[in-house]
Order: sequence, then structure tokens, then C-alpha cells
Amino acid sequence: MISSSQTETGTSTKDATAVDLPWNVIVHNDPINLMSYVTMVFQKVFGYPKEKAEAHMLEVHEKGRSIVWSGAREHAEHYVQTLHGYLLLATMERGE
Amino acid sequence: MIFYQTPEGRLGFRDIPPVLAEILRQVPTCSDLEDEAVEARLFPPPTEDPLEEGARDDWKAYVQPELHELFQTSRQTVDADLRGLKEEGDFFTVEFSSKHVPAWLNALNQARLALAAQHNFDEGELSQPGPLQITNEKELALLQINFYAAVQQWLIETLEE
Repeated sequence: MISSSQTETGTSTKDATAVDLPWNVIVHNDPINLMSYVTMVFQKVFGYPKEKAEAHMLEVHEKGRSIVWSGAREHAEHYVQTLHGYLLLATMERGE
Repeated sequence: MIFYQTPEGRLGFRDIPPVLAEILRQVPTCSDLEDEAVEARLFPPPTEDPLEEGARDDWKAYVQPELHELFQTSRQTVDADLRGLKEEGDFFTVEFSSKHVPAWLNALNQARLALAAQHNFDEGELSQPGPLQITNEKELALLQINFYAAVQQWLIETLEE
């Protein structure tokens, strides 16, 4: 499991296994959830300032998805569960 | 229908017409359905990665029951608040603690998502203004989705104040 400090600096090596790669938390577009609600959830869950939360919300709305967080797998799982608790369409994917 | 806040920090709706009072009463039961489309929307998988079948199985076994409980608790909170709906002349009033706002937001969202999944609404249909006359269940569902959205929006604004 990659440490959060490695994740933040994007450290990786050629022989790193898939498990070592950071995971992305993706939020997908959903025609039901209110824009204001999605923004509020991003602020609450990730502690983002309103401007950053709104930028992610708009990316979801306009592009269909947004990578809202990247890091260690167990944290990604926790965030996906939390976002599902708020009824957002969220998944996790291995980072590139 | 008028939204209000009391100096003591309670929230409420007053002058609720009977038809909207009935629609409000349905919030806790909209998503309590044995409908595959609703289940799929309320409990999506955590990843689409083909190598993560085990993770999806674990999610179903361990995470989904927690989400079920969270959603049920929210609905129960709202249901208890709605039992306080009072008839005042031709209209209804309901008041609840501001501490219940997260439960209300969650239950309203469950209801809206469940109705949309159950009636298979597409984005185009959802962006239409509500029908002037209700002639079938799908039109009623659209009215519910829009009305619940208005209530949600007001609750979000109260949180931002």
C-alpha cells in the first residue's frame, strides 16, 4: 500500500505493482442530484473551499465525471462509501 | 407554502396545501421499494474495474448494509417529523429541529432518485417544467421530484446561512 506522502508527490517506480498505484475517486454525472447539493457534499466530505467544490461539480455536470480525490486505496474506499451515503454516483479507479 | 425558521433554530413549512402535504408524507416511503432499478441506483458498485470482483462482493456484504441502515435512519427521522403535520384551516404546517436537516436532505434525495429510477426518467424529461394537470403516475412522480427538489434547495440554503 502506497503511503499518503508518496501519493501526494506522485512517487512511482517502473516495477510498482497495481496495488501500489494511487486510486482516483470519480464522481459521475447524475441528472437528479442538485448542483447546490453536490457542491455542498464536496465541501463537507473533502473539506474543499466552495470555489474548488463548485469547479468539480461543474466538471461532473459538463464532462460527465470528475476526479475529486486521489490517494491510497483504503482512503479511496472510505470516500466512495461516504459519497454513496450522500447518494452520489461515485466509483474508484486505479490511477494512471 | 412558506418556509420559515424560528429564533430557537427550528425549521418549518406552513400554508402547505393538502395535496403537497400528502406528497410530503410520501417522502419516507418512496425509496422503500423492492424495485431492482431503485436498488441499483441507491446502491451502486464501488468500482467498474474488471479485476475487482472480490471488492464488489465485499462491498455488498459489508458496506451496503451500513448504507441501508443510514438511509433507513434518515427516513425514520423524517417520518417522525412528518407525524407532526398539523391541519390549520385549509392548510397544513410542520416544524422540526434544524439538527434533522441532514436526514431530510438524505431522505428527499432517496425519494427523488428512487422515483426517477422507478419511472425511468431521462434527462430531457427531468428538465421539463412539471405538468399542469396530473393524468398518470409518471406525471405525479415528476411533480414529486420537482417539489422535493424545491424543499431540498431551501434546506441547503439554510445550511449555507
